[in-house]
Amino acid sequence: MPRLKRIYDWFEQRLQVEGPVKEAVLHKVPRNTASWWYVFGSAAFTLLMLQIVTGILLALVYVPSAAEAWNSLNILNHQVPLGWFLRAIHAWGSNFMVAVVFIHMAQVFLFGAYKFPRELTWTVGVFLLLMTLGMAFTGQVLRFDQDAYWGLGIGVFILSRVPWAGGALVHLLLGGPTIAGETLTRFFALHVFVIPGMLLFLVAVHVWMVLKLGINEWPMPGRLVRKETYIAEYNKLAHEDGIPFVPGAFWKDLIFSGAVLAAVAICAAVFGPSGPGGQPDPSITQTVPKPDFPFLWIYAVLSYLPPSMETPFIVLAPIAMVAGLLAVPFVAGEGEKSWHRRPIAVLALSMVAVSWAVFTHLAMLTPWSPHMNAWSGDTLPVEYLREATPLVRQGAVIFQAKQCRNCHSIGGHGGERGPTLDAVATRMTPDQMRYKVVTGGGNMPAYGKNLSPPEIEALVSFLETLHPKNEPPAFDASQQAAESSGAPAAGSGSRTP
Amino acid sequence: MRRGALALVLPLVFALTGCGRLPGARAEATPARPEDVLDFHTLYSTNCQACHGANGHNGPAMELGNPEYQALVDDATLRKWISGGMPGTEMPAFAQSAGGMLTDAQINAIIAGMRKEWGSPSAFAGATPPPYAATQAGDVRRGQQAYQARCASCHQKPSRQQVTSPAYLSLVSDQALRTIIIAGRPDIGQPDWRLTDANGSARPLAAQDVTDIVTYLGSLRNPAAVSAAPIPVPRGGTQ
Repeated sequence: MPRLKRIYDWFEQRLQVEGPVKEAVLHKVPRNTASWWYVFGSAAFTLLMLQIVTGILLALVYVPSAAEAWNSLNILNHQVPLGWFLRAIHAWGSNFMVAVVFIHMAQVFLFGAYKFPRELTWTVGVFLLLMTLGMAFTGQVLRFDQDAYWGLGIGVFILSRVPWAGGALVHLLLGGPTIAGETLTRFFALHVFVIPGMLLFLVAVHVWMVLKLGINEWPMPGRLVRKETYIAEYNKLAHEDGIPFVPGAFWKDLIFSGAVLAAVAICAAVFGPSGPGGQPDPSITQTVPKPDFPFLWIYAVLSYLPPSMETPFIVLAPIAMVAGLLAVPFVAGEGEKSWHRRPIAVLALSMVAVSWAVFTHLAMLTPWSPHMNAWSGDTLPVEYLREATPLVRQGAVIFQAKQCRNCHSIGGHGGERGPTLDAVATRMTPDQMRYKVVTGGGNMPAYGKNLSPPEIEALVSFLETLHPKNEPPAFDASQQAAESSGAPAAGSGSRTP
Repeated sequence: MRRGALALVLPLVFALTGCGRLPGARAEATPARPEDVLDFHTLYSTNCQACHGANGHNGPAMELGNPEYQALVDDATLRKWISGGMPGTEMPAFAQSAGGMLTDAQINAIIAGMRKEWGSPSAFAGATPPPYAATQAGDVRRGQQAYQARCASCHQKPSRQQVTSPAYLSLVSDQALRTIIIAGRPDIGQPDWRLTDANGSARPLAAQDVTDIVTYLGSLRNPAAVSAAPIPVPRGGTQ
């Protein structure tokens, strides 16, 4: 032991880190900050370390060239022992990191931790969020499968909408006018050198400020932040009712970070790596590309925007969002911290969370997009055809072959652009269905010119059978009344000559 | 100390033996280009089953999973219908040469897969069915008599009567009618040409009967009669 002590002293005499480290580790923090609510920042840091380690290991095999990238990922998945697990850890680590960073930000916002003197910590945090999303996006591109290829294509289209500079920006990002080998090299450099470098630097600044300014005290209703008095009040709180950061608060960080790592490992083992999907070849059109999870909400928002709103939204919304986030501590840098007395903050956060969840959910369903393979791949429920007449059966063939299924689901399968038709006969009479098929209307195209009269008859006779057993089909009451009284129904769809 | 060693060794053993079997481990092969997919089940389930039914049964269109159908139709004929579609019906052309998405190799894989999955050398149990394609001309009058004598008893039942409806007949080809009469559709209770009744006694249709019945049904086909029907305008608005 004395020998170890001598070695330690030799280094310490030259490095002189013991003092600052002790100060950082043992500095007092307010007792109530040792809370399970204060563990997300350290978890994000742990995940960043995990991503760096797994990223370096992946870089040993990955080939950043358009011709080889996709193959090298398949080699990792199938040939390198536990290569699939490494890829899965990196992918799930990314998902968890994005999630934890957002949760951390929401918690900081809700606890008013961005207020004086921590404005800059928040500002740096906003840039850390952008970098994390940048890592997620560039990482998705490095996968270089169909999703990556088309996702990048969409990202570039968005960028090209920037007035005046759009073309130049696209050229800068892609390394040319099209997605090619240079593009992948560029994204490799971004993902491996540029963004991680900035990320590490900003994380250091962020953590430095947390150490210097202290952990935000637990917000109490009525304890207002004032620039003149806050620092003295905080120091008093930390010293009178404080505990050393290690181990007082630190053990919860350790346990939560460990749990997050375990969750990443379990997800990786159970769900596996993400992709790579099909080859990135623009000549393959049988593909439904989707962005990765953090960007699904953008996909949904863009799908729902009317065309005239697209360019203003694409250009202005990101600027407005970032500006809004950056403005938070400067607009509300003082005053109440407790969520009990900040209704607007709570409502704003709830609204953002609900909107995000709704758009993400919609993007997973893509109700705006036809399912292009439904007509040839989705079978009809067997019981719908059990009692079918030949004409009804033929109508079902028309229904499938004319691709009605791509927009209308039956039995839970098919597109969701149009209404589901499992019980269509309970809400439309045969005449109404015939009219709708022929003339279209609303979202539906008119099929009158594409279907022959026998096809329409067969199709409607099939649709007429689509009602639950215990629920009678819709009928035209006025027509029945007219027929029972013997008078011809004017303008009705009477089929008798 | 021994416990510590165990804690070190166990994960290693697990890593060497168990991880390949974890649910996340990718066992499936590298995704192929769509035109390189030659697996019958994948091809059938993405291209055929919506009309022909899962596993070849219970679809609205021809029952491909019927062994008698597989025995009746030869490879060249199947290839012709799949590649170029069946004119006058909803069967589309699937060959790339005809504007579809499938290569010739994929169409061959579908045919071979159907033979393997659903074909049976003893499908007809020694009986000789009428030929797949008609060899002589049929006669409408004889066909009507044969239809009344042999088909009408079942096809007058309410749920099955529309086999003579002009709209239905406008949507099926003579060949499809002939194929169904010969091979039957066990999944919906249509017997084959032997017309075996409930007591098990069979009175097969002769080849000429089949041709005559198809000719008779073909004579009822009249798209013009269907197109004369007016397209109604519902009162009180539409939805």
